[in-house]
Amino acid sequence: MEPIASNVTELELADGVRIFIAPTKAKDVVTLQGSVLGGMLMLPRGKEITQALAVELLDAGTVEKTKDQIREALAARGIGLSFSSGTDRTFFSGSCLPEDFSFLLKTIVECLTGATFPTKEIALAKERMRGELEEGKTDTNFRATIALSRMMYDPSHINYADTIEERIKFLNSITRAELLAFRKMLGREGLVISVAGDITPASAERSIRSAIEKLPKGTTETPVRKLNQKRPEAKELLVPITDKANIDTYLGVALPINYDHPLYLAFTIFNSMLGARGLSSGHLMSTIRERDGLTYGIYVRAGGFGALSEGFFRIWATFSPATFKVAVEKTRKEISIFLKTKLTEQGLLARQDQFAGSYVVGLSTTNGLASTLHSIGIEGKPLSYIDAYPDLIRAVTLDDLKAVAKLIPFDKLSLAASGSFDTKAK
Amino acid sequence: MAAKAATKSARKAAPTASTIPGITFVQELEGIKEYTLTSNGLRILLVPDDSVPVAGVMITYHVGSRNEAIGYTGATHLLEHLMFKGSEKFNRENGNLMEITIESLGGMLNATTWFDRTNYYSIVPASSVHLPIEIEADRMRTARITEKDRASEMPIVRNEYERGENNPMEALDKEMWSAAFLAHPYHHSTIGWKSDIEGVSIERLNQFYNDFYWPNNATLTVTGKFDELAILKLVKKEFGQHTKSPKPFPAMYTEEPPQQGQRRVIVKRSGTNMIAIAHKIPNAHHADIPALLVLTNVLAGGDTSRLYRAFVDSAKATDASTYCYELHDPSLFLSYITLTPKTTHAEGEKILLREYAAIKEKGITAAELARAKRAVRRFIASRRDGAYAFLSSLNEDLATGDWTRFAKQPEQIMNVTAADVKRVANTYFNEDQSVFGQFIATNS
Repeated sequence: MEPIASNVTELELADGVRIFIAPTKAKDVVTLQGSVLGGMLMLPRGKEITQALAVELLDAGTVEKTKDQIREALAARGIGLSFSSGTDRTFFSGSCLPEDFSFLLKTIVECLTGATFPTKEIALAKERMRGELEEGKTDTNFRATIALSRMMYDPSHINYADTIEERIKFLNSITRAELLAFRKMLGREGLVISVAGDITPASAERSIRSAIEKLPKGTTETPVRKLNQKRPEAKELLVPITDKANIDTYLGVALPINYDHPLYLAFTIFNSMLGARGLSSGHLMSTIRERDGLTYGIYVRAGGFGALSEGFFRIWATFSPATFKVAVEKTRKEISIFLKTKLTEQGLLARQDQFAGSYVVGLSTTNGLASTLHSIGIEGKPLSYIDAYPDLIRAVTLDDLKAVAKLIPFDKLSLAASGSFDTKAK
Repeated sequence: MAAKAATKSARKAAPTASTIPGITFVQELEGIKEYTLTSNGLRILLVPDDSVPVAGVMITYHVGSRNEAIGYTGATHLLEHLMFKGSEKFNRENGNLMEITIESLGGMLNATTWFDRTNYYSIVPASSVHLPIEIEADRMRTARITEKDRASEMPIVRNEYERGENNPMEALDKEMWSAAFLAHPYHHSTIGWKSDIEGVSIERLNQFYNDFYWPNNATLTVTGKFDELAILKLVKKEFGQHTKSPKPFPAMYTEEPPQQGQRRVIVKRSGTNMIAIAHKIPNAHHADIPALLVLTNVLAGGDTSRLYRAFVDSAKATDASTYCYELHDPSLFLSYITLTPKTTHAEGEKILLREYAAIKEKGITAAELARAKRAVRRFIASRRDGAYAFLSSLNEDLATGDWTRFAKQPEQIMNVTAADVKRVANTYFNEDQSVFGQFIATNS
């Protein structure tokens, strides 16, 4: 793989600000990924939804401009801009033509520093979010993920999911003052911006420096890391919804690791061997789908990992009501077979080759490159990590994979599923 | 040998008909070079781009659910699945099944089926560009379409169908097309009816394969970092083994009879309240399509669009979307609105019709037209950002039967005037040529 870091300009500024500028040969397109400290972990229990409401409203009016002025100015330039929430960060991403990059940055900073959260807009946003939550009541995937997370985590953990009714109650309680207080957390502290595409480092640096000098310091609060108090325990929860042709099914367990864990890379390789999306490359896809015909898709979907949060191992599959029970049984059986027979040197080597190739493919778009650089920034890794990654993957050993297998209590996988269950089925 | 030839880094001049016997240069537009493999009519599109060390290969067959009929709806899609079960050279016994070959490189291999086409594509590290070409050439005529694989694959496809049925919008969408088209095969969705998925015979699937999977019904596209001359030689070697189809392709001659009055559909089941409206529009090559695409942007292109403001901004809905389907045959212009709990279907319908009427009566503003054109420039740039984006965009133009739309359409859209948009709104937003749909959530 040709070196990438040498083509990336990194700026390390005060307050932990990290900027990555990656010019590419893409024409007429610039992609930006960024984030600042300030997230659900910094909010009191029951008020976490403040962040989701705030990001919905960051461009709905600032001290300088109305919602229409902001949105029409962005649309007139064809700029895409969105804000999203996270555990300890607030994220933003955008894409634009090269000549509009400065405007995109200025708008982001204006929203982060000057969003006023007009009362009328708060009411409308709450109404929309209540609508989405009501939609979620018949969304089999949403219901199953909520059910699983409640079995895996204790209620004080950031990965514990409130019920839809609880979320609506919490949403209704959020005040404008709380939104303003949350917005004041957002500033230079921990700012990471990565930009890739049709741009020169000098012009991008000028635009970024000019824009971010208006950012206040932001929060310096270090959230307390709350360890999951719930012990792994194999439980089962079926969430029935009428008229559903498909059952969304999860098998999962919380893990006592975050993404800084020494086995984290081995964990990602392990997950890929067991549950990659490809038809052949994941053991579960090649058996439960290709051999047994029991699903359209079955994948490992691990997540919830952060600097301060322990994540989870999780398998997601869709099953027909008629074969749900047998499909779950076969999945558990195939996990056992995988652990006994598939953790081999040959299997590891093949996966390492695959990772090396997919890494090149993944970095071939401006969004893929910007996203990777942004992850490096927020995870506190050096820029050189972008070139070192394939070697680090190569350094994972079979013993590492076996250690990962011991780390995951497979006998404690909980089952959560949602759909229309066939009580007469096998 | 072919592999080494294909991956040489030395760049050579673009070949012409005289440099490679048997390959005819046809034209070049927007950096896309078109050739024909003279012996069998395979169309070849080469799009060299050395900006990233990646290559994309796609073969598009001009067959889709448009070519199906009652009893074997969904056959094109089921066949697409069976095309991954092995071919003469790439199979499980040899340990080089298609997905094993591509996924072991870290590449991406997949396929999609739609009304007018079926495409198979791979994105791979540039050094392996020869492999997907060899795979596609081999399975074009030696794919193993067996009863054993049909029987094991059918429940997988059925589960794909079931997934879609869980989604209110997808369920309503199927009913909208079914109501709009009584005779034309756009009547049924690409996934097909459940009983046809379950019941279609292996003989029927093999007939489908033997009817349509020929070089003169296909386009091979290669984009990314590769040596053009070496790729053309490889394509000639691999695809040159096949003859053109021995008989004419089965014609799809069914025409939709004139619609005489609005049709209405209702889907009642667990889910979310929605409304939808569809109007008949001409095929993708009609001169009014660029103006209809501008209209799509005005109605639902982001948070300054009319439907977003009328519905989402006012919390009457959680989502509003509009689609202008550019298809081989006359198709639909569709809008979907997902209502919030306090908004009734009647209220939603009133707002939606008011917004359509406003455009018919007053047209669009200069600012709306400018925004739509800016969005076109962004779209042109974004579809070149990576091999997958490029292939998936070009694929839809190929499906219409004229890939040069990819190069020509942006200018056509830039020439659209506000008067054009008002005119097409008045031409096509005709109640008698519409379908109105409701998804009524039984849980609410």
